Amino acid sequence: MKREIRFLTYPLIILATGLFLVAFTLPQDKEYGGEWDIPEEYQNMENPYTGDKSLDRVGKMLYTKHCKSCHGSKGEGDGPKAASMSVKIRDLASDEVQEQSDGVLYYQSIIGRDDMPNYEKKIPVEEDRWAVINYIRSLKEK
Amino acid sequence: MKKYILLLLILPGLTLTGAFAQDDEKEDIPVRAPFESGYLIDNQTTQIPIEGTLEYVIQHKFGTMENGLSDVWGIYSPGANVRLGLNYVPVNNFQVGLGLTKKNMYTDLNAKWTILEQTRENTIPLAVALYGSLAIDGRNENTFGTGKVWHSGEGTKEFDIVFSDRFSYFSQLIVGRKFTHWLSLQAGASFTHYNMVGSVYDHDKIGLHFNGRIRFSMQSSFIFNYDVPLKIKSISEQREWVDHPKPNLAFGVEISTSTHAFQIYMGTADGIIPQDIMMWNQNDWTDNGLAIGFTITRLWNF
Repeated sequence: MKREIRFLTYPLIILATGLFLVAFTLPQDKEYGGEWDIPEEYQNMENPYTGDKSLDRVGKMLYTKHCKSCHGSKGEGDGPKAASMSVKIRDLASDEVQEQSDGVLYYQSIIGRDDMPNYEKKIPVEEDRWAVINYIRSLKEK
Repeated sequence: MKKYILLLLILPGLTLTGAFAQDDEKEDIPVRAPFESGYLIDNQTTQIPIEGTLEYVIQHKFGTMENGLSDVWGIYSPGANVRLGLNYVPVNNFQVGLGLTKKNMYTDLNAKWTILEQTRENTIPLAVALYGSLAIDGRNENTFGTGKVWHSGEGTKEFDIVFSDRFSYFSQLIVGRKFTHWLSLQAGASFTHYNMVGSVYDHDKIGLHFNGRIRFSMQSSFIFNYDVPLKIKSISEQREWVDHPKPNLAFGVEISTSTHAFQIYMGTADGIIPQDIMMWNQNDWTDNGLAIGFTITRLWNF
């Protein structure tokens, strides 16, 4: 039996070495997605729940359920599913994210594009959607 | 019997007492998800996903834990049961589904209608749902012995087994309330009917159900259910209670994400579809009857 499988030794060594080397050659650095094309109605959208503390828990709960697996618990883009994305995820606490208006964040979070899924059906109530936006705002202070 | 009727009367009353504990909201819209999925161990919840949702469910129960380490507490025992199911929501608050279960090779067709949803301002303090299931025993013909049956009330005249003899039905009224963001409870009453049973059994069974969830973190909850088949003499065809089904107790933990709910639990019933649990469960949780089980659901929105 030993003699019969011996012929596999060299091919297996070559395969294992090859796989090991490939780990270093595959591109590891992903890039951020391009500019968002935000419709005008969203750019000027008012957040009717700005500063509504009663939504804090709701926002956190919805973020944990729907967003955390990719965006990470602090919004740093380091959730367990982030690695399988084709683009790099921006830090939600960063200035470039936080500088955007609530309406733009709403479009990016709820309507989405490409790897960022649409959440209109998973978070159907307007109040709950703004609770998520408020929670993203709160990540800045954390 | 009296105490069960009393329980049935008290439970909806209890749910109403918390009617004023909710936060004041501006618009009166349905409360945020009272449960993470339409399943709660062996029961249905009043929760139905949004219109256009397809749900795939895997329900699995291992064998009983009585043999301990020898079969790793039932995980490698031969007595496992599994159901694979699909549900679809064609219109809001109405769901249809089908599934196939290993035990008795049941094919089940089911539907759920959430008639009332609890609202945030308590205009409607309770959620009310109806659930119905038709199951077809899909075992080979030779499982049924001689292939002959007696019909109730027609003496010992023998008839051939026909397709409809394989049918069993389960219908249930579910009343639920989300008391706080961490506590949701449900009570229910059900009627089970089998078209064909052994001569020492009853065709009909009425049962009560009590179940709920206690959330202990953002994504995790403690869950339990308790189902009691009632001994009601007036609907029994027997003089004595022979192998009256045992109550089904189960408790476990649920973890949910955006598209999945994962429940792992210990419970008594080896059946998965509700009519089987209410009619045939002989496992007793006080006598080594517990088994480990889990449920996984996956949602797709269209």
